[in-house]
Amino acid sequence: MAGNKAGSTRNYWLTFAVSIALTVITFYIVAKLDTSGNFLIPFMIVLAIAQALFQLIFWMHMNEKGHLMPIIGIATGAFVALTAVIMALYWVW
Amino acid sequence: MAQGHAVKRYTGLLDWLTTVDHKKIGILYLLAGGLFFLIGGFEAILIRIQLMDPDNTYFVGATFNALTTMHGTTMIFFAAMPIIFGFMNAIVPLQIGARDVAYPFVNALGFWLFFFGGLLMNLSWILNYFGATGVPDAGWTGYAPLSSAHSESIGGVDFYVLGLQVAGIGTLIGGINFLVTIINMRAPGMSYMRMPLFTWASFITSALILFAFPAITVGLVLLMFDRLFDANFFDVVDGGNPVIWEHIFWIFGHPEVYILILPGFGIISEIVSVFSRKVLFGYSTMVFATILIGFLGFMVWVHHMFTVGLGFTANALFAIATMLIAIPTGVKIFNWLFTMWGGQISFTTANLFATGFIPTFVMGGVTGVLLAVPSADFQFHDSYFVVAHFHYVIVGGLVLGFFAGLYYWWPKLFGTMLNETLGKIQFWTFFIGFHLTFFVQHFLGLLGMPRRVFTYEKGVGMELGNYISTLGAFLMGISTLILIYNIVVTTIKNKRVGADPWDGRTLEWAISSPAPEYNFAQTPLVRGLDALWHEKTADDGDGKMKPAEPLGEIHMPSPSWLPIAMSFGLFVSGFGFMYRHYEIAIIGIVITLVCMFLRSVYDDHGFHISVEEVCETEGIEVPKSKAEEAHS
Repeated sequence: MAGNKAGSTRNYWLTFAVSIALTVITFYIVAKLDTSGNFLIPFMIVLAIAQALFQLIFWMHMNEKGHLMPIIGIATGAFVALTAVIMALYWVW
Repeated sequence: MAQGHAVKRYTGLLDWLTTVDHKKIGILYLLAGGLFFLIGGFEAILIRIQLMDPDNTYFVGATFNALTTMHGTTMIFFAAMPIIFGFMNAIVPLQIGARDVAYPFVNALGFWLFFFGGLLMNLSWILNYFGATGVPDAGWTGYAPLSSAHSESIGGVDFYVLGLQVAGIGTLIGGINFLVTIINMRAPGMSYMRMPLFTWASFITSALILFAFPAITVGLVLLMFDRLFDANFFDVVDGGNPVIWEHIFWIFGHPEVYILILPGFGIISEIVSVFSRKVLFGYSTMVFATILIGFLGFMVWVHHMFTVGLGFTANALFAIATMLIAIPTGVKIFNWLFTMWGGQISFTTANLFATGFIPTFVMGGVTGVLLAVPSADFQFHDSYFVVAHFHYVIVGGLVLGFFAGLYYWWPKLFGTMLNETLGKIQFWTFFIGFHLTFFVQHFLGLLGMPRRVFTYEKGVGMELGNYISTLGAFLMGISTLILIYNIVVTTIKNKRVGADPWDGRTLEWAISSPAPEYNFAQTPLVRGLDALWHEKTADDGDGKMKPAEPLGEIHMPSPSWLPIAMSFGLFVSGFGFMYRHYEIAIIGIVITLVCMFLRSVYDDHGFHISVEEVCETEGIEVPKSKAEEAHS
């Protein structure tokens, strides 16, 4: 798997910086900006999804060849888990 | 290469308790599952005896509730699931040309966890006489608040909660094991679209286990906290919500139905093809139908809850999703029929069960579509119509599939052949008994007979139906006894059969019966769908698999005491929690943790089977080059 573009050191540094930045932004808006939960919660969820995608693609090499099964597995798991969570949040309560 | 350390190879009983060989674990699963099948079947016969005549008083109230609960839970979790794993263990690695599953140790652990979980729950019957809190009696669905802490009289549900948790871990790791095995351990040339249908079904079933079992695990943990630690998730009075349990249970419970039936479909696909001497009709549509059923299976759970009152939009959506499943299932039915059409069909016992399966399962499917109509479901709900439906699907689908698989793969498992005459008698007694029992239950349900109620009145037209139903149950019991007799006779006679008694198509028939410890002396090269059949019929084939590697030493995993000890720890802690003796619970958990520690700290590199030993087992001469190597 060595030698492809996702594996380069520069890319790792870049994604590391972006990950840190995403985390800092989240903490900053919660601590400093006095916004309502209606904005804050969806915004944080979007940032969290971006964060998770960065982790999966760059750090867990999901963009490389031979990862079809892990991708299918993760996507299906996310689908089932989301179904359950959305059901519990918006339907039962 | 010499052995790095002394080879630990046990014999006799010790061998079975410590084995990590997938074939032996498969047999253990079948044995234990068969035992629980007998227990569950006995409970079913007791239920039918109570319902034979109106106003019977043999098993009333809580005892009857316990019987139905234990029958359902035992049959689903401790009979059907292990028998599925039994066939998967015994057959899947052989079908894909692997030497074992990906994680042999985990495989053994999965079996022992299931076994101790099942034992824990079923001990409730015995412990009930020695001052235990009772037998689980809240239904196999364990609906809260009936099952949660605030109903004082139902202490026995602890057995259900703890037993299922222990067994559930075993099932989950078993599922993961088979996913990894099928993805990573296929022989060269065995692409996904060359995998036999049973392997495909096992693959999708394992995926369903992976995604569905966490839901029931969460549900059981919540229920355990409600019962043991005075938490409150499900009691309305204290702000809980019992509907959460229903959702969680059925998010697991509906995929569970497909976890059960898909391997049955797989077995039938193999058998219909072999005994029609034709390639399976529409192989790729069969594969995609299997995947689609698995996918849709996660989006239909609310059809078990139409009468809860979730609103007409929800009910309509889930009704449509449910009816969609009839499409891939119909594809399968027609593919089986087209496979048989024009084939040279031989009605062996296995094929009798397989052909009996098809119309029976269709009937279960048709009532399933009827139940998927919400407005109709309000009439059918909780009546014997539902009981008839799911027994048609599970017994008519799964159990007939199991019997078919048992007769078909018995030579591969044990090297002997079950008696065909006895087998055919067993088929007809079972088939007639089954339809007698459950066909009339449709009409009892339409007359308004409710599930899980221990009696009914005289003079409302239910006497005859119930009487017939009970007679049918006796006939199924007799049929099971015939099977046991058949197994005993076959084992005593011990008449050996060859490697390929059915003129099989798939890889498992390419090796001797029963398969040697290492399965394949040389990993086979797969050159087409139905790998062995390809070698039998291709121009350059000689009926034997072409090897994909030279003959060499074979690396094997070592047997281990840790799986059984680890599971025993959880078994002990289960009793500790149940009797609220937390010191015992801690002791049990410590046993498990120590075993986990030992497993992590001490590397076990397994052992090697030498080329000489392989050649001796296979009855071939040691190749010259290898013989020289050994002497030098």
